[in-house]
Order: sequence, then C-alpha cells, then structure tokens
Amino acid sequence: MDRCLVPGPVLAQFGATRRTQSTQSTQSTPSIGSIVSSGSPRPSLKVRRAGLLLALALLTPLLPACTPRPGPSGAGGSGAGTTGAGGSGAGTPGAAGPLPIGATIALTGNASVIGQDQRIGLELARDHFRGTGPAVELRIEDGGSDEGTATNAFRSLINDQVVALIGPSLSQQAFAVDPIADRAGIPVVGPSNTAKGIPQIGPFVARVSAPVAQVAPLSIAAALKLSPTIKRAAVFYAQDDAYSTSESKIFQQALSDRGLKPLTVQKTSVSDTDFQNQITDTLRRKPDLIVISALPSDGGNLVRQIRELGFKGTLVAGNGMNSPNIYPICQRNCDGLLIAQAYSPEAATPINQAFLERYRKAKGAAVPPQFTAQAFTAYQVVVEALAALQRQQPAGRPLAALPRPELRRQLNATLLKGTYQTPLGEIRFTPEGEVIQQRFYVAQVRMAADGRSGRFQLLP
Amino acid sequence: MQTLLQILVNGISTGVVYGLFALGYTLVFSVLGVINFAHGAVFTLGAYLTYLLVGGAVGSNGLLAGLQLPFALPFWAALPVAGVGTALVSLAVEATAFRPLRRHQAEPLLYLITSLGAGVILVNLLQLLLGAEGYSLPTTALGSLPVTLAVGGVQVRTVQLVLLVVSALVLALLSLWLEGSRGGKALQAVSEDATTARLLGINSDAMVRLCFAVSGFLAGIAGGLVGLSLSITGPYFGINYGLKALGVLVLGGLGSVGGAVLAGLIVGTAEALVPGEWSGYKDAIAYAFLFAVLLLRPTGLLGRVSITKV
Repeated sequence: MDRCLVPGPVLAQFGATRRTQSTQSTQSTPSIGSIVSSGSPRPSLKVRRAGLLLALALLTPLLPACTPRPGPSGAGGSGAGTTGAGGSGAGTPGAAGPLPIGATIALTGNASVIGQDQRIGLELARDHFRGTGPAVELRIEDGGSDEGTATNAFRSLINDQVVALIGPSLSQQAFAVDPIADRAGIPVVGPSNTAKGIPQIGPFVARVSAPVAQVAPLSIAAALKLSPTIKRAAVFYAQDDAYSTSESKIFQQALSDRGLKPLTVQKTSVSDTDFQNQITDTLRRKPDLIVISALPSDGGNLVRQIRELGFKGTLVAGNGMNSPNIYPICQRNCDGLLIAQAYSPEAATPINQAFLERYRKAKGAAVPPQFTAQAFTAYQVVVEALAALQRQQPAGRPLAALPRPELRRQLNATLLKGTYQTPLGEIRFTPEGEVIQQRFYVAQVRMAADGRSGRFQLLP
Repeated sequence: MQTLLQILVNGISTGVVYGLFALGYTLVFSVLGVINFAHGAVFTLGAYLTYLLVGGAVGSNGLLAGLQLPFALPFWAALPVAGVGTALVSLAVEATAFRPLRRHQAEPLLYLITSLGAGVILVNLLQLLLGAEGYSLPTTALGSLPVTLAVGGVQVRTVQLVLLVVSALVLALLSLWLEGSRGGKALQAVSEDATTARLLGINSDAMVRLCFAVSGFLAGIAGGLVGLSLSITGPYFGINYGLKALGVLVLGGLGSVGGAVLAGLIVGTAEALVPGEWSGYKDAIAYAFLFAVLLLRPTGLLGRVSITKV
C-alpha cells in the first residue's frame, strides 16, 4: 500500500540508471524533474512553490466571493440583476427615472437556499405592485453567504443611488453591512434577520422578520403540548452563525423556564456535514427532545442523521430551517419537525390570497415558504412607503426631484410610521424599526410517503 | 468501551473518504508537481451525478428544474458510472486548465489560477443548472439494507460501513494497479522524471491524462459516497472537503499514496475524538494537530527524504 509516487527506483525498471551525484541535499518529496540544489540549507525552489500553493489553498473558502458579479437578467433568470417595475428604463442616479430599490440576498454559498426563496418573493412583489406608486426598479445583487460579499453588494447598490435596501439574508451579514447603509442614511429593511439587536444597529435599520425572542419559544411550548412527558432536552446550534447563536440562547432560556435544563449543548458549524459524533454523544444521554438552531443545509442534514441514528423523540428547529428546501435533504426524516412560523399560507386576507395566486402561477401548486412571504413583505413595505411619500408631495412633483439624501430620510420616516396589510398579516414598526406583528404560528412538517415532498402543517 | 468503538467507527469512516479524496490530489501532484484546485469541484460533481443516476430529481431553482433521468440505477451501479463521468470531466479540466500551460512550460503558480478558475466555473455551473438547494440520495438507495446496524453493542449507520468497504476496495484496487500493472509503473516512472520516462518510450502526456482520469474517478467515488452518507448540501459542499484533503495530502507526505490513506484515517479519527461540546471547533483542532505533526516531521508521515543531485 505504501506506494510513493516520488523519486524512486521505478525508472530503473524501464532501463534507466540514476546519475551519480556530486553534491547532496535533503528535501521533501515533490515529483517530476530533478531539483537542482546548491546544497544550501534554504528550501528548494520547488518546496517553496509547494508551500506557496498550499498557503493559497487556504483562500479556497473565498470561492463564493470570487463569483463574478452577475449581469442583468429578467424575471425568472438565474443571475442577479436589474428588473424594472413601472419604469420606462434603467434609472440613472439622480435623474427623473424609476427610483432604484436595492436588494442583497444570498444567491450563492451555504445560505443560497434562503436567497432563492427570497428572490421569488421579491420578484412576485415587484410584479404585484407594478404601477401602484412611483415608478421603481428592483436591483438584486448577490450578497453571497458571507459578510465580505454582502458588503460589496451593499456598497455597489449604494453607489447606484438606491433609495432603499432590502436584505441581507443572514443576521450575521446584517451586523456587518447594515451599519454601512445606516451611515449613508439609506433605509434598510431586513427580510429575514431575526437575531437580537438588528434594529438597534441604527435609525435607518428596520426589519419585517420578527425577532427570535418572540417566535422561537412558541415551538418549545408546542412540543411540550404535543408530548407533555418530555423531561430531557438537548440543544444543537451553529456556533459560527449570529442568528443561530442568538436563537439558541432564546431556546435554552425557554427550556430552562420550563424546567428543562439542556443535558448537552452541541456546537456545530454552518459548513458541517457530518454530525455523527455530536449525535452519538447526545443520544448517549437519552434526550426526548432535541432543539436545533441552524440553516437549511446543515440543519436538514443534522435532522436526517439524528433520525437515522435512532432518535425517536421530538425535534424542534428554528427559523433558519423554515423552508421547503430542507425536504430534499432530510426527506422522510423531516417528518414531525416542529418549526415556529411568522407566516401562515392559510390567512384569508386579500393580499395573502393574491400572493398565493402569484406564487402558484410561478412555482406550481406549492405553498410559499416563510422566507418568500417575508421578502414579498419587505418589498411591499418599501413601495407602499414610497407611495405614501409621493402623496405627501405637492401635486405633480415627482419623488425623484427630491435630493436623494432627503428622499431617503423622508422615506425612512414614512416607512416607520406606516401600517401595512401584508401576507404576514398587519404589521407596523416601533420607532426603532422593530416589526410589530399580530400573530405567529407553529407548523409541523408532514412528508409525503415517497419522502420527496411535504408541507408545513399549522398546529391549532 | 462502546463510546470508544463508536468514535473509531465514525472517525475511520470519515477518514477513509478523506484519504480517497486526497489521493486524487496526490496523483496529480506527483506527476505535475502542482495542486489541482478543481478537484473539489469534481468531487461535488460526483455527488450530484450519483444523485441523478439513482433517480434523484432536480429541485425547483436551477435551469434544469424538475429534471429526472428516465431510468434509476441502483447505487452500486450509479457510483462507478458517476466516477467515469467525473473522470471525463477531470480530463476536460486537464485539457483546458493544465495542458496549454504545460506546452508553454508555465510557472506552477499559473496552474493554481487556471485550476481554481476551472473549479469556480464548474461549481457555479452546477448551481446555475441544478440550483443551490441540498439533496440527499433516496433513503432506499441501499435497497433492503437496514438504516442502522448494531456492531459490538454500538449503533452504526449502514452507510458508514458501506463507505468503509467501498473506499477500502477502491484503495486496494488502486494500489494493486500502481504496483502490479505496467500502466501503474509507467505512471510512477513519469512522476520520478518525465523527461527520462519519455526517453524510455513512455508517453508522458498520455500518463498525465491517465493520472487526471484516475484522480477524477477517485473524486467522483468519494463525492458519491459522501452524498450517500451525509447529503449534498449545495454546490459548495466540496470546499471543506477539498481543504481537509489538502491537509491530509501534506500530513501523509506529498506524493505518498499510503501516507494519504494513513493521514486520512488520522485526521478523521482526530476529529471524532473532539468532545461533542467542542465539535464546532473540530476543524481548528484538526488543523492544530496537523500543524504540530508537521513541525516535528516536515516531510509528512510517510514522505520520503530524497537525495537531490546537482
């Protein structure tokens, strides 16, 4: 087995003999071509090259950030870009064209499953609200799944003179990029940032995604209602993600408040795929409830492995796994998973029915996930605030005539004062930018027999 | 004792895949003296191909949304077919990212850029066509085998054992081929000295292509096995494995086949030994261990100290 593909005697078997040597030096084992060394103690050129290559290898995680900036595309395209709504052409900064609204969502990287849900919501909202207010155009930039890419996307959109920003997808990114927009005086609406402290970043930062402190404990309560005999709980969370960390603290507090001090708290990473060691360590302690805070990819994988390793108890997941995109990963093992919801597809309001109809037309008969509804809502809030602001202007004066900093300031003030009838129900904001939402829900995932499709069934 | 056995099973089944993956790097490095950064993307492709061949359907977000092949192979057949597919793609990478530079005797750094570029393009192409959502091979992929087995009082996922057996088989076959066949020996000859090998009548260019094909096959098999065991968490999931395999390559000793396997097992077991509560930091612990070993033994575990002539 110990076969080295390095300088050795094999050439001799093909008839070659080794040359005699006049000077010797030692080195590690690169391959083709002999390496000339002067006999000095310095590492050979080849070795140094290998070292350089390996050092550069550490840059590999930046691959998503190396993704070329996508060009414009129409609705339904696969790249980020500019999509007009009610305007007559691309907006020029400061000109009397459509007002640009920027959106930074995760179209690449680990969180791209969230971003893809959000992209659909934004595009549906753009189509739905076309012509209902001032002419706007939606500019979507890929924010990747890391802070660096999101920062570049935010800066790029700010340079494009957007009037407001929607995004980014992750709380982790929001803590990095929202201060940039806040300093520039540009209203930001977070569609899926639920970690503690997001609206407190600054006066221009708001969110339509209810904070984990409000939503997360509901699923713990639902789990205990469904299985009152639960006595032993364990917790998993992605320690390198701000949202997961924040949510897990809420979960742990909710468990402690009910006398269920976690038996173990397992820290994972959003890029992890293999959880078998943590799971076997956890199952050894015989929990009957496991609570997970993770993103769809790692969380779905975790659920699958927990079930496959024999856990029969109750599973609760956080908002990060609130997407049908977990179905292909955990398949039939997703069944029974409890997740608190900020959106109910069953709401009979006109706006939700219109949203559902558009979603079904675009995606078939599927029910929209919460991330799609929240992205739709974020866009709706911005365009309705712009429409309200337009109504406050003297007759015939377009919003674009306002100096852009003043327009943004007035838009932010109007946005925070408004009340909105959205697919999430009626929402409004605190002066700080925190969303005030009327109702929340808990859903249980129900998978079809083939394990390929499922639905989020709301609990009564 | 049972806990230790569980850790060992987890560690070895993970480590053997690291070793399999790292061998692809080892082969190319041995022959060309450069690292093929597209190897991680080929690994990812192997997982996707296996998923499609066993009857998996594309989700709703890629250009090929809803696509499902009109046939479904059993996993045992899908895995080698996927390996052949990735071998062909690896050959395409060689033809586009390596061969033109070899003709111009370019600096090794340029190979890094072109192979990295090929990898990025391949990953983005996968996302464009298949979407970013994660996939799992159907739970029925292993036929009537049970999901878990009790081994020595320890509950072991059957896929872990499959991973172990298939990887060991592939590694044994590779070793036999390298040591016992003329093609394998020719490959070793080219890795020793391409010029001399050419003078002796060995077609070095053909050997380089063969090397890429074998490397791609190994990456495809590793990707398919990981896809079976742990799911495909999106087009980027090969990045972490790629980094880990690079560590394994260095720890084992650059160019050492046995070293890659041994280092894979060591890294896998070292990760498994990290206490559960600290698992979020297992990569840091694994790399710290690797760092420490290399300080003591810079040539890696089985890397040879060679005599160089001037």
